[in-house]
Amino acid sequence: MTEKTRFMLALIAPAAVAILLFQIVPILTGANASFRDWTLYDPKRTWVGTANYVHVLRDPEFLGIVLPNTFGFMAASVACALVLGLAIALMLNRRFPGRWLVQTLVLLPLMVAPVIAAIMIRWMFNDQFGVVNAALEGLGFAPITWLTQRWTAFLVILLTDVWLWTPWFALILLAGLQSLPPEPFEAAQIDAAGAWRTFRYITLPMLRPVMVVCVVIRAIDAFRTFDIVWTISGGGPARATEVFSIYAYVESFQFLNLGRGSAAAVIGAIIIVVFALLLYRLLNRLVEVSR
Amino acid sequence: MPGRKTFISLCTAGVIGMILCAGAVTASAQDRELKVGYMKNPIQDASLDMMEKWAKGHGVKLTRVPMAYSVFMEKVTATLTSQTDQFDVIWHNDDWGQLWKKWLETTDDVKGMENADQWPLLAFWNDEKKLTVVPMAHTVGTFFYRNDLVKPEEVPKTFDELVSVSQRLQKEGKVKWGYVGGMSMNNTWFSLWWTMWSNNCDILKPLFERDNAKLAAEKFEPAVTEPCQREIVEFWWDAINTHKISPPGMTAYGRNEANAIFMSGDAAFTLVDSTHFGEFNDPKRSKIVGKVGMAPFPMGPRAQRPTSWNEIWGWAIPKGVPAERKQLAKEMLSAMMMDEAGQVEMWKKTGGPPPNVKLWPKLAADDKDFAALKHAVFDQTPITHSAYYFAEWPAVHRAYSDMAIAALSGKREDIAKVLADNVDKIHRAATGN
Repeated sequence: MTEKTRFMLALIAPAAVAILLFQIVPILTGANASFRDWTLYDPKRTWVGTANYVHVLRDPEFLGIVLPNTFGFMAASVACALVLGLAIALMLNRRFPGRWLVQTLVLLPLMVAPVIAAIMIRWMFNDQFGVVNAALEGLGFAPITWLTQRWTAFLVILLTDVWLWTPWFALILLAGLQSLPPEPFEAAQIDAAGAWRTFRYITLPMLRPVMVVCVVIRAIDAFRTFDIVWTISGGGPARATEVFSIYAYVESFQFLNLGRGSAAAVIGAIIIVVFALLLYRLLNRLVEVSR
Repeated sequence: MPGRKTFISLCTAGVIGMILCAGAVTASAQDRELKVGYMKNPIQDASLDMMEKWAKGHGVKLTRVPMAYSVFMEKVTATLTSQTDQFDVIWHNDDWGQLWKKWLETTDDVKGMENADQWPLLAFWNDEKKLTVVPMAHTVGTFFYRNDLVKPEEVPKTFDELVSVSQRLQKEGKVKWGYVGGMSMNNTWFSLWWTMWSNNCDILKPLFERDNAKLAAEKFEPAVTEPCQREIVEFWWDAINTHKISPPGMTAYGRNEANAIFMSGDAAFTLVDSTHFGEFNDPKRSKIVGKVGMAPFPMGPRAQRPTSWNEIWGWAIPKGVPAERKQLAKEMLSAMMMDEAGQVEMWKKTGGPPPNVKLWPKLAADDKDFAALKHAVFDQTPITHSAYYFAEWPAVHRAYSDMAIAALSGKREDIAKVLADNVDKIHRAATGN
C-alpha cells in the first residue's frame, strides 16, 4: 500500500467509522430484531423467523390504508412542490425590481423546523381559533373542521409539506436554469418562438436531468415523512392519514414491539429502494427520449 | 538522551496519576449523587424540590435529568432492560406499571408508604406481590364547571342535565359551547371514557375487571357491542351533531385544544386531570381565573352513583442501581413521603394532590379548593381503574380510539355496525395478534 493510498484511507476513515457506527450497525441491529420476539419491555430475542413480516404483510390496515396513503402523499407532495418550485424558479430567473427580496422570502419555509411548522399549521386550521376558518367566515363561507375528516386532514398535511419543500425545488431548479447555455434560447428568439414553446421544447428538456434528481431524492424523503403527519393529525382521524413511518413508529414505540416495528421498517426500506430504482430508470429514460 | 527519556517517563506517570485521581474523585462523588430521570412538569418539579431539600441536608447531590414525555417511556424502558444505572430514581406511571415490574426495586420498605392510598397501587405490584413505586401525586379526572355561570345546585348530575344546562347557557349567549374535552388518541379519557365508566360500561369483559388472569380466562372479549357502549358513542354523536353542545372538531382535539376553549371562556364544562386547575387559574393564560368549580362526574342512564378515577404518578428505583445508592434513594423518597409541608406546597403550587392521604382531611379543612376536589373525586367510589394493566394495553387503547372516532365521524345509524366491525380488531390488539 502506497503512502498516498494510506493517506486517502486515513482521510475517509472517520466518515467510514461514523457511517458504520451510526448507520450500518443500527440497520443490521434493526434487521436482526425483525426476525426475533423483541419487545422493548421484555426483550426475549428468541428467533421467530418471518412471523413479524407475515403479520405486517397480512395487516389489512398496512395494505389498505398505510401503503396507499404513503404513495398518495408522496406522489401529490412531490408533484405539487415540483410544479410550484419550477414556477417560482422561472419567475426568479427573470430580472425584476425587488428580486433579491422575493428570493429571500421564498426561502423562509426552508428555515423553519418541520415540527414547528406543523404545530403552527395545526393551530391555523383549528376550527375554533384558526386563522383559516376566520378568513373563510369573513368571506361568507361556513367554517370547516379540517382535522376530523380524512381528505381535509390529508389536504392540510399536504399543504404543509408542499409549503416546506417548494423552496427546495425552487432553489435547485433555479440553479439548474442559471446553468443552461444561452445559445438555444437565442436561437429560439431568432426563430420567433413564443414563451410557451421555448419553455416546452428548450427549457424543460434541458432541465430534466436536474428535475429527475430532485424528484428521486424528494420522493424517497416523502416516503419516510413522519414529523408533520404525527404533529398535525397523529395519523388520524382513526388511522385515515396514517403513513408508513407512523405505522413503524407506533408498532415500535407505542406498542413497544421492536420486532414488528423493525419488520415494518425493513419492508418499507425494500419498497422504497425498489421504487426509487424504478423511478430513476423511468425518469432517466424519459430524459434520454427527450434528447 | 537520558534527560529526555526521564522527562517523557515523568509526564506519562503524571498523566496516568491524574487519570487515576480523577477516576477516584468521580467515583467518590458518584457515591453521594442521585440522578433522577423525569418528565419536565410542575408537579414533578415540586416533588423533586422536596427531595432536593432532603438531599441538601444529607450532603447528596441531586441531579435532575428531564426528558420529553414523547420519548420518556421508550428511553427509560431501554435503560431498564439494559440493566445500566443511568438513573437512580425514575418517574413511574400506572400506564406502564406492569411493563417495568421486573426491572424495578421493591418499595414496600420505604417509610411513609403506609400513608399511601392503596387503590391506585394496583398497577405497580410485581409477580412476588411486592410494590415497585412510591407515589408522587394523585392524577384524578375532574369535572370542572364555570361557577360564575352555574350555581352549585344547578351543576349537571346526569348526561341529560349536561345537555339541557349547556343548551340553556348557549341560548342565553353566555357560552359558545356547553362541554369541551379532548377526544383524539391518548385523550380518550376526557370525553369517551369518563362517560363510558359513568354509564356502567367498560372496554373488555368481565366489565370493570382488572385482574389479567380473569381477563385472559374470558379471552379478552371486547365489550364494545354492549348497549351501554353504543349509548356512549351515540351520546357524543348527539352532543356534537344534534344538540351541538360540543364543538364539531372535538374528535380531533387533544387536551391543549380543549383547555384553550375552556380557558378562553367559550365553554361551560370540561373534564381533565385535576392538575390543570392551576392552569385554569393562571391570569397569564386564562380568562376564567377564579371562576372554576369542581363537581362529581355526571351520570349516564345506567349508573346509580357518580364514579371517578383515582390513579397516581410515582417514583421508582431501577434494579440495576448499586445497593448503596438504592438505599440512599429509598431514604430520599421516604423523606418526600413524610414531608407534609412540602406536599401541601405542591398542592398549592401545582394542583397535585398529596400522596400522603392522611393529610387530606386537614388540607380539606384549610383549603376550599381541595375540599371541592375531595368532594368531586376522592369522596366518590371509582367503578374501576382508568386503564388496563397488561402489555397490550396501548394497542387496545388505540384500537378503541380508532373505532370510536370512526363511529363518530360517520352516520348515526351506522354506529352499531362500526362498533360490531371493530370487535375483532380490539380482540386482536388485546391478545397481541
